[in-house]
Amino acid sequence: MIPPLRRKVLRDLRRLWAQVLAIALVLAAGVATLILGNGAYASLHETRARYYEENRFADIFADVTRAPRALLGEVRDIKGVLEAEARIVRLGLLDIEGMKEPGSVLFVSLPGDETGLNQLFLMEGRLPDPQSAREIVISDGFTTAHGLGPGDTLPVVMNGRQRQLLVTGVALSPEFIYALGPGQMMPDPRRFGVVWAPRAALEAAFDLEGAFSNLVLKLAPGTDPDLVIEALDRLTAPYGGTGAAPRKDQISHAFLDAELKQLSAMVKVLPPIFLLVAAMLVNMTLSRLITLEREQIGLLKAIGYSSRAVAQHYIEFVLLIATIGILIGMAAGTWLGAGLAQMYARFFSFPYLVFLRDPQIYGLAAVITVGAAVGGAIQAVRTVVRLPPAVAMAPPAPASYRQRIGWVRRLVQLRQTGVMVARHLFRWPLRTASSTLGVAMSVAILVASLWSFGSINFMIDVTFFRTERHDAQIVFGVPEPQRALFAVRQMPGVVVAEPFRQVAARISHRNLSKKLAITGHPAGAGLSRVLDTALRPMDLPDSGLILSEALADALQVRPGDLVTVEMLEGRRPILTLPVSGISLGYVGLGAAMDIGALNRLMDEGPLISGVNLMIDGSQDAAFYAAAKAAPKTETITVTALMLERFQQTLAENITVMITVYVVLAAIIAVGVVYNFSRIALSEQGRELASLRVLGFTNREVSGVLFGELATIVLLAQPLGWLIGYGIGLAMVAAFSSDLYRVPFVIEREVYAIASLVVLAAALVSALAIRGRINNLDMIEVLKTRE
Amino acid sequence: MEGPADIVFRASGLTKVYRNGALEVHALRGIDFQARTGEFIVILGPSGSGKSTFLNIVGGLDRATSGEAWFEEHQLTALTERGLTQYRRDHVGFVFQFYNLVPSLTARENVQLVTEIARHPMPADEALALVGLSDRADHFPAQLSGGEQQRVAIARAIAKNPQVLLCDEPTGALDSATGIKVLEALTQVNRAVGATTLVITHNAAIRDIADRVIRFADGRIVEEIVNATRKAPSEVSW
Repeated sequence: MIPPLRRKVLRDLRRLWAQVLAIALVLAAGVATLILGNGAYASLHETRARYYEENRFADIFADVTRAPRALLGEVRDIKGVLEAEARIVRLGLLDIEGMKEPGSVLFVSLPGDETGLNQLFLMEGRLPDPQSAREIVISDGFTTAHGLGPGDTLPVVMNGRQRQLLVTGVALSPEFIYALGPGQMMPDPRRFGVVWAPRAALEAAFDLEGAFSNLVLKLAPGTDPDLVIEALDRLTAPYGGTGAAPRKDQISHAFLDAELKQLSAMVKVLPPIFLLVAAMLVNMTLSRLITLEREQIGLLKAIGYSSRAVAQHYIEFVLLIATIGILIGMAAGTWLGAGLAQMYARFFSFPYLVFLRDPQIYGLAAVITVGAAVGGAIQAVRTVVRLPPAVAMAPPAPASYRQRIGWVRRLVQLRQTGVMVARHLFRWPLRTASSTLGVAMSVAILVASLWSFGSINFMIDVTFFRTERHDAQIVFGVPEPQRALFAVRQMPGVVVAEPFRQVAARISHRNLSKKLAITGHPAGAGLSRVLDTALRPMDLPDSGLILSEALADALQVRPGDLVTVEMLEGRRPILTLPVSGISLGYVGLGAAMDIGALNRLMDEGPLISGVNLMIDGSQDAAFYAAAKAAPKTETITVTALMLERFQQTLAENITVMITVYVVLAAIIAVGVVYNFSRIALSEQGRELASLRVLGFTNREVSGVLFGELATIVLLAQPLGWLIGYGIGLAMVAAFSSDLYRVPFVIEREVYAIASLVVLAAALVSALAIRGRINNLDMIEVLKTRE
Repeated sequence: MEGPADIVFRASGLTKVYRNGALEVHALRGIDFQARTGEFIVILGPSGSGKSTFLNIVGGLDRATSGEAWFEEHQLTALTERGLTQYRRDHVGFVFQFYNLVPSLTARENVQLVTEIARHPMPADEALALVGLSDRADHFPAQLSGGEQQRVAIARAIAKNPQVLLCDEPTGALDSATGIKVLEALTQVNRAVGATTLVITHNAAIRDIADRVIRFADGRIVEEIVNATRKAPSEVSW
């Protein structure tokens, strides 16, 4: 038999189902985001760790132009190096018939044997015969994008020569989880693929017999990668080594890291907001319930129930709400988690995704949620414990009001109904404040999530329309003399061609240093410009460097400071140069110079690394064909295609993301507004019915309640904007990395949209109680004492 | 249905049946009633005799099941919800057993609540003066005694200069000394404003202060007495 008090809990739940559900949903949102965030983080982290482990992902990566295989022995002797593997890694061009736009492939020599580093995960087919000159394995996404499979041929341009390669298998590699092509901003499997081939075949194709172009190292546990890199760089310097990179700077790894960082930022921000709001709602609702049941509490105590038993009764009520929230949240979190995993699967090439349903995460979410709910209930339940039965059974002392709204009246001419609104809000300042904060949080969630889309647009505008304004870019395999520029100018469709020079360098300031490419621009270049932080084109000084904001921050330098520049190419001069300006840039780290000044420093004559181009759109196919056929071309990037891919990827996710955030914000707004209205109606129902008796219309009476709601919702807007701004600012800091930094731009529309969504949610919840106001029983209130 | 010019209320064959599932409760079983302008009428009767139902119907708070009720040229029994609200707003002053003041408004503000929406109100302070509460105007209901609260309610009821003043057990929650004060306020207001006043009470002693006394029993008017002379409230005792 169910004890009577427990039966009362169940009946209360059923009677107050709408309020219970509203609170449970806010709790559920907290649970769901907690499970989703932690679960996705753990899944991604675990998947990556397992994949790295099983496929022996390397710890250090180094490129050289050409080094003899004999060097490998010396590399293996570096202290702390467990294994080292010499590879051939070179870019080539796609030559698929019917694909007019240019695409690249990265040729990578197959790992030596089963103990080799960066082992492939074979999805389909077999590995190439080591002796074959034609057989290759290609990356999975690329295969899908082109409808290729084992047995098909892949036409490419390797080292300036056209070749027909035979696909024997499809594979994935831990090195290319996030497979970014040269010059790309997002993975684009149609225009970039990885091709693994036996090293003998690549040696022959790239004239690298007995040599290698890339090293991967595995370190003994506990080894400091920086020390190894230092030694390695000394060994590779004579062979065109541009400096080794530790795993944390490896592109694919770094992008995954950035994603993980964002996830952990989300886990830190969202769940606490929901749990805080839910705790406030529990407090508000339970306090009111206890006030209403005052006499019952007195009666229960009078007939011998202990204070503890009565308190436990209310705690049970809250626990049941928490349980409902936890169950909904777990289901939603699991479902959303699967969705997020699918989104990851689209972005990141994993052979498998370990979606952890770690009971610990679920358990933790449940414990935290129960904690928040019970925490919210504590203060209300304490009043139950303290209430002596005799006092409880007498009607409560009437609510005492004080004047204290004189200043409000001086500001606005209030009617008496307005005075009622103001006095109520001031009578329960904590409730007013927490409700305002609750609604503000839902505004803040929207501001803090929607700003990023505006920022991305701004970033696109700055990057593609103000800085990199070229239609296409050709990069040569090695720096070429000025002649190469004239050759490019002869290509069909070329309207303007501007050269640039890029030199790998290490720039240091005090104990800080960064490896990057210094770009030399011709004076007055219009296709690739250097802009200052106010978006004005900058003049490039005769000597001295212009650093991007991100780099200047990373090195802690200001204009006028001197930095040490170690060129990692050619004669590798080490120079001290002044920082003459700071430029704007959101992608990667950048340093710019005048091309003449850069070439003078390199002392190799007037060389160029590539050409930025303006193309006559009607001749683009002819241009692509000519550029592809030119023997010096290593890669061709087309800005419009890159931009299109970027926006397409964004568009694929934007709807989902906005929907999720709008739903989350609406849950809070509805939860707060609905509960607030129900409580206010419960407290003032009698007064409102009395107003009806006095001849106030339904509209006027609703106005009193809605006036309170409107005040809270309106006060919450600027507060929400401010909190959202703060969260956004913190997120910008959390999101920026050496790969990209996000400009913090909040367009006015973001505030407007956030407010409109929340106002709409508030309006819906207010309308939900309008029926109750219209049906107030006038006669009932005249017959009863409160 | 035209009557003499000084007739404010007319009701004929008024019935009210409450249905609660299969159960039917006949609260009113055919009431015929008239009241003249300025008349002070006391309605007596035991609990459940239908007197409150009657007052609620003539006050526009409830609807009759059948029959007609008129206030001047308005047929109350034919008005819509909106029309009834307008009728209460423009013409009726109510006083109830439990005062029904707005706790978040001071005495003066409670009165202003009504004067703000009335067509021909008197100043709120004047209404409070009529009930002898000028010095308590800035107090909240919680700071006033029961009698004072009821006098605020009367001030609020008369401040709109109503044609009718409907009082349901106005002294029901008060001790006799306080009750007398409240009754004095009512009779004084009745004289000063000229509002037709209907007062429901359990207390037969009050009958002597009325022009006319009506007794309800079992949903019908069973007795009607016209007092030749009215006593002052202070002269009655209970």
